[in-house]
Amino acid sequence: MSLRLKARKYGVAALASMRNRTAYMGSLLGDALSYALFVFVFSRVWTAAYAGRDEIAGYGLQQMIWYFIVAEIPAFGFGRFFSTLAEDIKSGQVAYLTARPYGFVGYGYAQGMGKAAVDCAIYVALGLALGLVLAGPVPSGPPLRAAAVLASLAAAGSIQYLLQLALAMTAFWAEENSAFFWIYQKLKLIVGTLLPIEFLPEAARRIAAWTPFPSLSYAPARLFAAWPGDGAALALIGTQLAWASIAVLACQAIYALGRARLTVNGG
Amino acid sequence: MPAITVDQLTKTFRTKVRPEGLGSSLRSLIAPEYRSVEAVRGVSFEVDEGEVVAFLGPNGAGKSTTIKMLTGILRPGSGRASVLGLDPSRQRTALARSIGAVFGQRSQLWFHLPPADSFRLLGAVYEIEPRILALRKAELVERFGIADYMDVPVRKLSLGERVRCEIAASLLHEPRVLFLDEPTIGLDIVARREVRALLSEIASRDKATVFVTSHDVGDIERVCKRAIIIHHGIVVVDEPMKELRHRSLSRKFIGVKYAEPVDFDIPGLAPVKRTPTAASFVVDTERLRLEEVLRALVGLGELEDLTVEDESLEEIISRIYGSAPGDRP
Amino acid sequence: MHRITHKPGSSRRRDGATMDGRPGRLAAYLRFLGVSFVVNVQAVVEYRVNFLAQVFGMMLNNAAFALFWGMLIGKVGNIGGYGFDDVMLIWALVSTSFGLAHVVFGNVRSLGRIIQRGELDLYLLQPKDAMLNVLASKTVVSAWGDFAYGFLVLGLLPGFGLERLALFCALSITGAMIFAATFAAAESLCFFLGDSSGISSAVTEFLLSFSLYPETVFDRGMRWVFYTLLPSGFIAFVPLAAIKSLGWPAVALLAAIALLYCAASYGFFRLGLRRYESGNQMGARL
Repeated sequence: MSLRLKARKYGVAALASMRNRTAYMGSLLGDALSYALFVFVFSRVWTAAYAGRDEIAGYGLQQMIWYFIVAEIPAFGFGRFFSTLAEDIKSGQVAYLTARPYGFVGYGYAQGMGKAAVDCAIYVALGLALGLVLAGPVPSGPPLRAAAVLASLAAAGSIQYLLQLALAMTAFWAEENSAFFWIYQKLKLIVGTLLPIEFLPEAARRIAAWTPFPSLSYAPARLFAAWPGDGAALALIGTQLAWASIAVLACQAIYALGRARLTVNGG
Repeated sequence: MPAITVDQLTKTFRTKVRPEGLGSSLRSLIAPEYRSVEAVRGVSFEVDEGEVVAFLGPNGAGKSTTIKMLTGILRPGSGRASVLGLDPSRQRTALARSIGAVFGQRSQLWFHLPPADSFRLLGAVYEIEPRILALRKAELVERFGIADYMDVPVRKLSLGERVRCEIAASLLHEPRVLFLDEPTIGLDIVARREVRALLSEIASRDKATVFVTSHDVGDIERVCKRAIIIHHGIVVVDEPMKELRHRSLSRKFIGVKYAEPVDFDIPGLAPVKRTPTAASFVVDTERLRLEEVLRALVGLGELEDLTVEDESLEEIISRIYGSAPGDRP
Repeated sequence: MHRITHKPGSSRRRDGATMDGRPGRLAAYLRFLGVSFVVNVQAVVEYRVNFLAQVFGMMLNNAAFALFWGMLIGKVGNIGGYGFDDVMLIWALVSTSFGLAHVVFGNVRSLGRIIQRGELDLYLLQPKDAMLNVLASKTVVSAWGDFAYGFLVLGLLPGFGLERLALFCALSITGAMIFAATFAAAESLCFFLGDSSGISSAVTEFLLSFSLYPETVFDRGMRWVFYTLLPSGFIAFVPLAAIKSLGWPAVALLAAIALLYCAASYGFFRLGLRRYESGNQMGARL
């Protein structure tokens, strides 16, 4: 099939998903409220933590609050694919999807990211507003920083989706696979979402560098709150892209294996 | 005293129109739009204790709504309902002890548990003394032939097996009235016959009042003594099954297709539609025996395809009233 | 097979209480809860691997947060006057209370979904209080992990003793009641708002979040929230003080407050149920 038609197919899926999302204002409002309150709670915690000091692990109070604001955007916008994906796979929905003429991974990605794009736009706006109120002015950085942060967010979101898809697909083998997702979620929390990587003990930090976790929240948050220099910034985004590619391949592989298993077992 | 009394029961649903798209979503927050659906428009009937009644109607006719009002799940808009002398919506918990319900599309059995466990739970729910529960369970298991399934998680049972367990479970507390809402939905022919046989047995052995809804006439034909047909929210037919059968249920639609052109010349049977190799017939089985018709058809040539269908409820209703399906009587 | 000859509806316990007498009903309810609990646990234990995996998962979750606090307090010494031990004690209290609530009333956070899908009908058909029936029909596997975790942490913290353990148990029960009541109320919003899953999960997150962070980081002006809508105060902060000072009077007070929350939640559910019975909620199944 021609590339243009293929792209259009995925584009339509993404758009439909976006439109679908805007129809459910109620739940979106709830999530946004969640985000706002979470940011608020942590701004209070950090303020208390910084009582009597200017800097912890290289971050000032304002930077830390901004860090948290940006780090939570992928968590809220891209963090909740697993349950619907797992549900689809467990319920056998996926059996119907395999019969359709589009790539399972690609189509799911388009749908998922379409929805997430709307969410993220809202969280970015909300986050900026909250930050200005709670943390003060936006941290300084080079002119290209905004673009870099957005690119990094997109990359972070993509990796998150793909990893959650890979985890969801373990349903082909293990019916109760929520535990895997929890482990992933908690590790993600510790490594870069709740705390910047710089808070981890030296040994842990070095191990973390080899995992995808820093690419999930740390990268965009760091770029925004404490610009690490052009070279380091490029390295961060580059690492994200590398992980995204690995995640795609992993998904395709797991899907192929899982599909084979489905046809053998008859769902 | 009648077991069920229904007097001018009405129910109109007023639901918010679900907004589509961003514009309508915002508008609906400020000025929501409502839509009225008259599901039940004044239904009246009486059912005596021990009667076995079929409550029929096409989809959307108001059957489920009526049964929900009779079991207390839904409050009527207006009118009166009385089951065993109790008001279902005001005295629901009290009534619940004496009625049983089987909803074809919803299972009362815990999905991940084997029926044996569900029975235990239901025993506690209905406060059945353990000794009596054990006796009752043994009796039902034997009658329904579900001994093999009692320890298999419900999710692993086939639909037919599950429905049998479902009905057995609904009888644990020896209800005086048993409501069944579409019990045979989704079942294949064999399973359906089994369920119908069970219902017949319940009707005669348990001395309970049985109230079955269905959109499939064949379901209750042999089980129920009386048929109430509801259409567009009102009762259009309320008569003994014998009469309904005589009036309407005897028609079969037969379609045949042959490998080669055939001469459709059967005495007493004119095709409704025909082509050189295919034809369809309407057969009144009270006048012509189905077996003879089929024998004749098979003898005409090499049969490639054969379909035999019942008349649908809509068609029956429209014939009764001489109006087109979809018109309000 | 002979027919059991007795009148239906008369198969009740001959414990001297009349059919509608209080003791009879209460005993019946307790029996129901007991059987429900046992049966659900048995079902869950059958899937042993899954059960252990889930318990492990939750232990991991709680350990992750312990790490977070360890790292943070390691760098700054204390947060709002709360040291590491204090934070861990709060975690233990909240964890066990939360776990207990979901072990006994496993459907407490699925209530909204049940309402939306019309599955409430089946519970309404049974001669038991609808709310109790729905909530107690399930036990959440992972909650066992939370439940156990609190005891584990309590045992590892300095200052462990029998009286402390007793206080902890009592406070976990009151905490569990308040948790269950608040979650059920949040889920009951579904009666009124249709798909309110966003709000329900927000309430869960918030209640948990606020309960797990030191009360002192919040301005005095907003702390009233913790003693009303999001009762972290009654689940975590007051119990923390009670445990540290071994104050039993506080326990009695908390018990009364817990009962109040339960009553309010029950009332709210009944209100919503009336609406449900009218069939007019958004997305009602006809």
